[in-house]
Amino acid sequence: MANDQPPPIKGFIENSLLDWPGQICAVLFLPYCNLRCPYCHNHQLVLRPDTLETLSLEAILDRLHGFKEWVDGICITGGEPTIHRGLPAMLRRVHEAGFKTKLDTNGTQPETLHYLITENLVDCVAMDVKAPLDDSVYARCAGVYVPVSIIKKSIDVLMAGTVPYVLRCTVTPSMLAESDIYCLAEQLRGLSTETPSSLTAAPLLSLQNFNPADPLDPELKNVQPHTDQALARMQEEVNRILS
Amino acid sequence: MGNLLEFSHVGHEGSGDRAGTEKPTREVTDIALGTLVRRSEEVLDSWDRQKIVDALVRETFVDQDTAEAISLEVEEMILVSRISMVTAPLIRELVDAKLIERGLEQARRMHTRLGVPLYDVEQMIVQPNKENANVPHGPEATNLTLAESIKKEYGLLNVFSPEVGDAHMRGDIHLHDLGFIDRPYCSGQSLEYLKKFGLNLPNSLAMAKPAKHAEVLLAHMVKFAAALQGNFAGAIGWDAVNLFFAPYLEGLDDRAVEQLAQMMIFEFSQQAVARGGQAIFTDVNLYWEVPKHFEDVPAIGPGGSYTGKTYAEYEKEAQRFVWKLFEVYKKGDGAGRPFFFPKPLVHITEKFFKTPGHQAFLNHICDVASDKGNTYFVFDRGETAKISECCRLSFKLERSDLEDAKQPWKMRYCALQNVTLNLPRLAYRAKGDDTQLFAKIGELIEITIKAHRQKREFITRLVSHKSSGPLSLLNMNLDGSPYLRMHRCTYLIGMVGMNELIQYHTGEEMHGSAEAMKFGLKVIAYMKLLADQCSRKYNMRFVLEQTPAESTAYRFAKLDLKYFPKESSSVVKGDQSAGEIYYTNSTLFNVGASMNPVERVKLEGRFHPLIEAGALTHVWLGESKPPAESLANFVVKTFQRTKNDQIAFSPEFTTCKGCGKISRGLREACPWCGSEDVDGITRITGYFTRVSSWNRGKLGELKDRYRNQGHFTRPLTPERSDGGRVGR
Repeated sequence: MANDQPPPIKGFIENSLLDWPGQICAVLFLPYCNLRCPYCHNHQLVLRPDTLETLSLEAILDRLHGFKEWVDGICITGGEPTIHRGLPAMLRRVHEAGFKTKLDTNGTQPETLHYLITENLVDCVAMDVKAPLDDSVYARCAGVYVPVSIIKKSIDVLMAGTVPYVLRCTVTPSMLAESDIYCLAEQLRGLSTETPSSLTAAPLLSLQNFNPADPLDPELKNVQPHTDQALARMQEEVNRILS
Repeated sequence: MGNLLEFSHVGHEGSGDRAGTEKPTREVTDIALGTLVRRSEEVLDSWDRQKIVDALVRETFVDQDTAEAISLEVEEMILVSRISMVTAPLIRELVDAKLIERGLEQARRMHTRLGVPLYDVEQMIVQPNKENANVPHGPEATNLTLAESIKKEYGLLNVFSPEVGDAHMRGDIHLHDLGFIDRPYCSGQSLEYLKKFGLNLPNSLAMAKPAKHAEVLLAHMVKFAAALQGNFAGAIGWDAVNLFFAPYLEGLDDRAVEQLAQMMIFEFSQQAVARGGQAIFTDVNLYWEVPKHFEDVPAIGPGGSYTGKTYAEYEKEAQRFVWKLFEVYKKGDGAGRPFFFPKPLVHITEKFFKTPGHQAFLNHICDVASDKGNTYFVFDRGETAKISECCRLSFKLERSDLEDAKQPWKMRYCALQNVTLNLPRLAYRAKGDDTQLFAKIGELIEITIKAHRQKREFITRLVSHKSSGPLSLLNMNLDGSPYLRMHRCTYLIGMVGMNELIQYHTGEEMHGSAEAMKFGLKVIAYMKLLADQCSRKYNMRFVLEQTPAESTAYRFAKLDLKYFPKESSSVVKGDQSAGEIYYTNSTLFNVGASMNPVERVKLEGRFHPLIEAGALTHVWLGESKPPAESLANFVVKTFQRTKNDQIAFSPEFTTCKGCGKISRGLREACPWCGSEDVDGITRITGYFTRVSSWNRGKLGELKDRYRNQGHFTRPLTPERSDGGRVGR
């Protein structure tokens, strides 16, 4: 399953107040992704990681050592971290250095996710759910075909595990209607009752706003994101459905 | 010529209006020569040579004969010149020219006329004021600017010695608020004064007894703040506001407390009718815990009488009020914009962490910090608390303060003046030599001390007239000592451009290396040493301050590019071709340095124990809106793991003049309606304001501010470019 070579690191934020609610964390960006979401704002990392300098994990851990009293954990994001075989080695090394780990994933590798959770390599997971759990809609939002059974499997893994997690959905107005969001929320509620071993009564679904600054699909540049207020209203409705 | 005739016509009407209310000013005039002279009190007068003589004898030390001779010469000049309309300022200039011819420099100085050229007045009335982003444009604002310009000249000529005045003009130092030369700088007060004595201002038409209701106490507070603003140049701060309101809140339901919180914030944020149309620059200091020094103090309640309880017993009411205040801040104004004033300063003492509910409260105020930015986190570590007396001034409570705290109405403080040093220029003059540099620092501090002593002497003169003098409000004596306690005043020594001093002197900016940082600490430690020595020597309290330097950072940079172009052009920050230039404020790091917020808070905080007043680290949030819990985590760690005195998180907003709505981040166009008629809102220095009102230096700084976004992934090329950014 794993190899000892940590994956290349293409980006590093020394501390972020945004990526792990309640924590101060560092963020590592890993290259490549198996999806092509049209709204992706990190596409350089996905398509042209060769243009970015590779940073060494040891140098980063060295640097973070000086912030040990401050930085609670390290968030590994991308790209898609779970497509790298060296990810477990990296997480293990981060733990050894004394930092908690958070994984951002698109949920397309349920086995890897299961392995990481059972091996206690992650302390928190944020998983993107791109669309309602329907193959054709999902393919449109992810830019490639993804059988939603795989996504469901990953959600099951999270629900069955003991690690705190959050599901996230990026709301791009031209790609997802408001009703799609509520449909997804209903489906997630359905999943939670189907899973007898679930420790969490209902999953959390956190809505994120679309950022039109530099999307993978340039056509989306002209799409107006929802206002903060509108997004907050949708989030309330989602919370109501899931509660 | 036509203009002059029009003027003279207006002049006649004006004189009619004002006759009887004003004595004619003592100016010179004529008709004997068939010449009309337009005098400053707006009447046309016939020529009278004797008036030149009288003025010279009265205003200067010139003897009668010389005065006669000069007047004859000036009369001759006017006659020969065949000017048909002579103005008083012109005559005065002609007389001054004669004084110069005779080498009577001192007499010329004394005979100087203060005033404003026609062109400048035109500019002021038509152009907005960019000196202070808190002043709007309007007739009141122009009045303020005109009055300030004359008082500024007066101060430089008549209050300060030529040495000090010249140092200011050259830009070696900056004497703050010269236009308010006849007032102390800033003031901190206690509501207890109003609760005990009511609103009883000298020269006021009516006296109000101590308030019986919370809303009335609020009304007294607002009116007193407005009156104080007319007597101080800078901020008006209020201590422990939620605690001192608490005895008035017993028995009020939550809705009523919420209403009071709303009233307080709207009253202060909308008072844009006072001095120069400015909102009152107000700080409210707030606590979750009952700070130790007030625990056992007997509480004053409605009607000014003791309630029989101590303040420790009002913890719950005080907490209810402060919670509601932050609910109001969170909502923002009617359009959802952040309130600019009053600025909420939340003090966090050791006791905070032992007080039940502190975590929920911390999340609550961090939510406001993330969403609207208002919250200031003031860290009062150790057993002594601090009083934020006014514009970001915090002082450690000393024994005399703790004594005062037992009778909190006595707790009124004042910084008499603020003088800021141009640090980079010292480095230019020292030419890389350490000994020279420290010697120059000493010389400049000496001039600064002179400036403070001269201002003190002047204010002492003004207050010596007691209740009949111009500062009668500050002589108000309701508790056995005047409101302004001169012996307790502090004198601020500010600094601008530590980063550029170090950059020029050592070749590295302060964030460049540990050595550079260490050198900065050494400079500040030396300044503090000198300030302490002078405090003992003159029995005055000199303290170092992180000057907000809203316009000073721009002024110094401009003057240095002019006088030290070779030296300064490599270190001045901003866009020199666009004129958007500045020095880095006080001892802060380069605002654009890619430093993470932890590093900034930690390292900037190392200066704070040496800088007793106004130390603050800004964390610029840009568009991002971090979860409240993460900010709370950051705040707690800052308290526990650094020496940082105060932090604030500053988000940025765009407000649309078209649809009136607000959006997050600084934008070119409104995301709601697409209008490009938008304005930015964020902190200029210590307070929020509209970006359109900023001076060019601060605009340059805004572009450079590092917002902890993106930048961390370096492209393979050494230059960072937008293309190399990864992040949100």
